[in-house]
Amino acid sequence: MYKTSIRGKLIEGDKSLAQISTDILAPIDAKTPKWWYVAMTVSLAMFGWGLYCKYITLSQGIGTWGVNNTVGWGWAIINFVWWIGIGHAGTAFSIFLLILRQKWRTAINRAAEAMTVVAVACAGLFPLLHMGRPWLFFFVFPYPNTRGPLWVNFNSPLFWDFVAISAYLLISASFWYFGMVPDFATIRDTTKSKIKKAVYGFFAFGWVGSSKEWLRFEALSFVLGGIAAVLVVSVHSIVSTDFAVSVEPGWHTTIFPPYFVVGAIFSGFAMVLTLVTLMRKLYKMNDFITDSHVDAVCRILIFISLIMGTAYLTEIFIAWYSGSEYEMFTFFHNRITGEYAFQFWAMFTCNALVPQLFWFKSVRSRLWVVFIISILINIGMWYERFNIVITSLTKNYLPASWAGYSPSIIEIGFFIGTLGMFSAGVLLFFRYIPMIAVSEVKSIAKFNEEIQPNEDH
Amino acid sequence: MIGVFDNEFDLVKAFEKVKARGVKIDEVYTPYPIHEILEGMGKKTRISHAAFFYGLFGALLVLGGMYYAAVVSWPLNFGGKPFNTFPSFIVVTIVATILIVTLATLFTFSARAKVFPGKQARIVHPAATNDKFVMVLLTDGSAEEAAALERILQENGASEIIKQNEPHG
Repeated sequence: MYKTSIRGKLIEGDKSLAQISTDILAPIDAKTPKWWYVAMTVSLAMFGWGLYCKYITLSQGIGTWGVNNTVGWGWAIINFVWWIGIGHAGTAFSIFLLILRQKWRTAINRAAEAMTVVAVACAGLFPLLHMGRPWLFFFVFPYPNTRGPLWVNFNSPLFWDFVAISAYLLISASFWYFGMVPDFATIRDTTKSKIKKAVYGFFAFGWVGSSKEWLRFEALSFVLGGIAAVLVVSVHSIVSTDFAVSVEPGWHTTIFPPYFVVGAIFSGFAMVLTLVTLMRKLYKMNDFITDSHVDAVCRILIFISLIMGTAYLTEIFIAWYSGSEYEMFTFFHNRITGEYAFQFWAMFTCNALVPQLFWFKSVRSRLWVVFIISILINIGMWYERFNIVITSLTKNYLPASWAGYSPSIIEIGFFIGTLGMFSAGVLLFFRYIPMIAVSEVKSIAKFNEEIQPNEDH
Repeated sequence: MIGVFDNEFDLVKAFEKVKARGVKIDEVYTPYPIHEILEGMGKKTRISHAAFFYGLFGALLVLGGMYYAAVVSWPLNFGGKPFNTFPSFIVVTIVATILIVTLATLFTFSARAKVFPGKQARIVHPAATNDKFVMVLLTDGSAEEAAALERILQENGASEIIKQNEPHG
């Protein structure tokens, strides 16, 4: 049970229902602010550079990247796993917190879902281009064909991954869209602009808010919420099997699925925190994303950070306890010490140590500190994937085949391109879509005593 | 007759009184779902049953498809392992089944709730998606009935009462 006396109000400012609509939809009706154009230009420039790098990759091949025979997975796979991890926040927020009946999620779930869709789309680009011949992408679909018929290998985690990621993208996009239908109807019925009325009216699918619609809408959320909850754990578990099933030192461990899932939720929540602090600062959504919302996410991050620290220590312990010299070498000479020690300690500091600052209320209540820590966590999570992918591949069983790896400018550009794509997507979301679920926020308004009318009213 | 309310508490009170009188309630339009109304309207949805069957058939379809490809269509011997490698089919079966259930349930929702692209909204009250709670009643046409209903709506805090001859006018 949510107690406002303990946790603070869900919505500040004694708002009427109409006020909630007006406040949340204000950025859609308002003039586009200048900073938006500046941010969009920067994002598009980054995206453009990414497109150029993709063109070079497509026209000249994977040879333009820094990968080699030994280190076959470079930045592309690091970034793929990183983006997928960030894309975990959508299901974690909307579905996990829905099942746990956390009412505070309503202010944040829309942004988390939007972020998920864009992040997963960014992630998908990496394996696609890593294929080398992406125009033969359709070979990964199991369909009756004239090549034998040559079927895909159903035993391969790479195929599982393909199924998991495409299903996740489709499911989170449809979950996100259908959640917005009632809000599009609100825009249609409140806006004064004829163009907006027509456009949002089309996207509202004729929604009028009748009991017949709400009844089925609720049933739909219940079914999708129940069934998609599996995705919170399945997607990154499957990504982790890409690694865990192969016999590389540092990868071949049973801790991988839970370790990856927790890491994914960690980076997803951190990115949500980055976004909501921006929403508060740029769009003055303080009344809906209250201090208590930020506080709640910070508290969750402390907990996940402790799990991350435990996972790192467990990996190191098991490497020693196993007595396997290859595991020992990977963890003790190629991670904690050695060529990649900086990346290891950056990961450990950002993920296991820095978030511990959230124990202090003075840290949790300073928005700019929260913002910086949320960025640090995502940097730490990037280094985690770097550690896993690069340290294991550069030096494995046969010293004769050891090789170094450094990314080429094309690989770096590809990554920066996806950062641009992500920020452009988020900016479009801020500008054209209600960034907080209006109808869901209205349904929790009655839990604020201030709005609840007297019984004899 | 259309009763417009400012909050869900008044709407639910009026809804129960009108229902107790035996008047037919055509439809209730609200900005967010109100469980008393959804239950009170007496309509049932079988979406969750449908989803169960989609899941059942989806899982069989996916598992059957993989079995066909790996055992019947093109059996491939690797390491002397069985063709039907059931344990490694499980992951794909679960994920693909979830995808099938999601898409099929969405289409069912779209068809049953009649919410689909290109549909023109039949707006009864323009603020029903914003901050008003709207109840549409079908009266038998007699003046006494109309007056009695109007009194109930007014007593329970209706902010606006609209009389029309045709529902969804």
